[in-house]
Amino acid sequence: MSTPVTLEQLARLCRDAEGSRGPRPAAAPSGFAELDARLPGGGWPVGAIAELMSDAPGIGELTLIVPVLSRLARAGRHIAWIAPPYLPYAPALAQRGLPLERVLLIQTRSLQQSLWAMEQALRCPAVGAVLGWPASIVDRNVRRLQLAAEAGGSLGILYRPPEAARESSPAALRLRLHAAPDGVAVEIHKSRGGRAGVTLRLGVAATAVVA
Amino acid sequence: MSAGLWLCIRLPRLAHEALATAAGTETVAASRSVDHAAIEQAAMERLAAWAYQWSSLVSYRLADGPLLWLELGASRALFGGYGALLAKLTAALTQLGYSHACALAPSPTGAALLTQAGKQRCVTTLPQLRLRLEMLPLALLALPPEVLAALHSAGLRRIGQLLALPAAAIARRFGPAASLYLQRLCGTASDPRPAWRMPAVYRARFEFDAEVRAATALLFPLRRLLLEFQGYLRGRDCAVLRFTLQFEHYRHPDSAITIGMSAPARDAAQLLLLARERLQALELPAPVSALRLQAFEFTAASVLQGDFFGNDAQQLQQLQLLLDRLQARLGDQQVRGLALAADHRPERSWRFVTPQQSMAVPHIPAAVRPCTLLQPPRRIEPPAVLLSGPERIESGWWDGGDAARDYYVARAGDGAQWWVFQDLAQGDWYLQGLWT
Repeated sequence: MSTPVTLEQLARLCRDAEGSRGPRPAAAPSGFAELDARLPGGGWPVGAIAELMSDAPGIGELTLIVPVLSRLARAGRHIAWIAPPYLPYAPALAQRGLPLERVLLIQTRSLQQSLWAMEQALRCPAVGAVLGWPASIVDRNVRRLQLAAEAGGSLGILYRPPEAARESSPAALRLRLHAAPDGVAVEIHKSRGGRAGVTLRLGVAATAVVA
Repeated sequence: MSAGLWLCIRLPRLAHEALATAAGTETVAASRSVDHAAIEQAAMERLAAWAYQWSSLVSYRLADGPLLWLELGASRALFGGYGALLAKLTAALTQLGYSHACALAPSPTGAALLTQAGKQRCVTTLPQLRLRLEMLPLALLALPPEVLAALHSAGLRRIGQLLALPAAAIARRFGPAASLYLQRLCGTASDPRPAWRMPAVYRARFEFDAEVRAATALLFPLRRLLLEFQGYLRGRDCAVLRFTLQFEHYRHPDSAITIGMSAPARDAAQLLLLARERLQALELPAPVSALRLQAFEFTAASVLQGDFFGNDAQQLQQLQLLLDRLQARLGDQQVRGLALAADHRPERSWRFVTPQQSMAVPHIPAAVRPCTLLQPPRRIEPPAVLLSGPERIESGWWDGGDAARDYYVARAGDGAQWWVFQDLAQGDWYLQGLWT
């Protein structure tokens, strides 16, 4: 019999395998040069949680991150969608270069299940990004997810209601999203290691040219 | 005559240790009569299956203390010498939670006797075996008590003194059975062992001495069951895609759960991890008096090294572990993938697939599509602001889902952009997508 593997060792498998593959870049380019220029490391924080607080659904909050999802998926990592409120539309994702076989769609029955699934997915190095829509989330849980993202070297995207901007959060990056003609206005609300307070206008809308 | 090399394992507390007491369990009916012989038999069957990973000739005997034999002559090369093999084996037995004494000898009867010797329990040639036996006390011989008493009163104390007597004299005085026993002990008479046959279907049963109320308390005994199961799978060089856990209750019909995997597995730790997810969510209908593990279908172990998408195997394994855990906790249908479908109608141009399924791309529309879809479309008032369109989509006449629609991008009051269409047959407007 080979050396017996304990549960703890098994749980550590993901993290160890991760470390052996060398350091991962701390940021993944967003696909928007103006945004990259404002984010520490030049892109979305990898191994961390980013919160997106959208004024309303349908103002480009998902289109904004599709370029980074496509980049991670084409690098061989999977994209886990945990209980999305709307159906991710496969033809639209394929149009934007996201390989569909890397998409994992996970339905849950409760907030607790969603948080658990997010944490599991974030921890797994085979997953590059995890998207979640928690109805409410306390700091302690954001911190848990943050640790899981660090362990798995993955990008965690939390969609939160606009009211969440009034509270603080341990997330590495917090963006407020406002509707704008032909695009979305991105307000950097908090950026660990970067500058907050800037608002950028990015062309992601239906009528804009999509790369 | 040479009879190969035999490892004998004496399991002095088998029945007691097999009768699991789940640690920290709230129990009911703490003392009840249990059939110790049946428990011992079941535990030995599981151990024989487990032992098959080390040897293709496994045998056991329950009379006069449970003994398990493994013929190791052919296995030596496989496991890098006896020392390494014995170290692994005893570590594995300890992990299973069984007290044991092992001995290695060129005869099964000799190995069985040596398990009772305090030290030097490993001999590999017949002359060494004879020398070792000669030094040991007569009392260790598996002879009837009256024979041992007669030998003692005749002034014999060591096995060597008995072996020095002519075989014919021993047979005349103590019967042919005693003589044959001594010859088998020294490896000079044929000593056939009934070979244990590996069952085609794996069934293991674990009885508790007290009923178990909490599903999570089953994890402790389950760990042992899965370690034994892993030994069986290794012995058969195969893996499983699913196995069933059945729960016996005293005053309630049996209940069961089936644990499935997305890829063949046989690693006990992995199987336990999956079982744990299920047990944590499990509501037991009644306290559990016994646990059964069953597996009917086996796959070749070579599939374990499969590499489906050019990923490195490790990443694939990690992903499978994640998928298995998610499915075990949330349900099989809750974890899915997405694919395109060949249909012009937006609501039929995609479908759910099993995760990781790679599909040929039938059709990607030329016009840009929104990232989220409302399923089904929601009827709305005619939108006030249309930003672009129309895009005419007509199709589906061949299967009765006739559709002729004009699609537009509309702006909603809150600044959101909607993907809307007007049904050309009825004139009604619908919201079908959001430009999230």
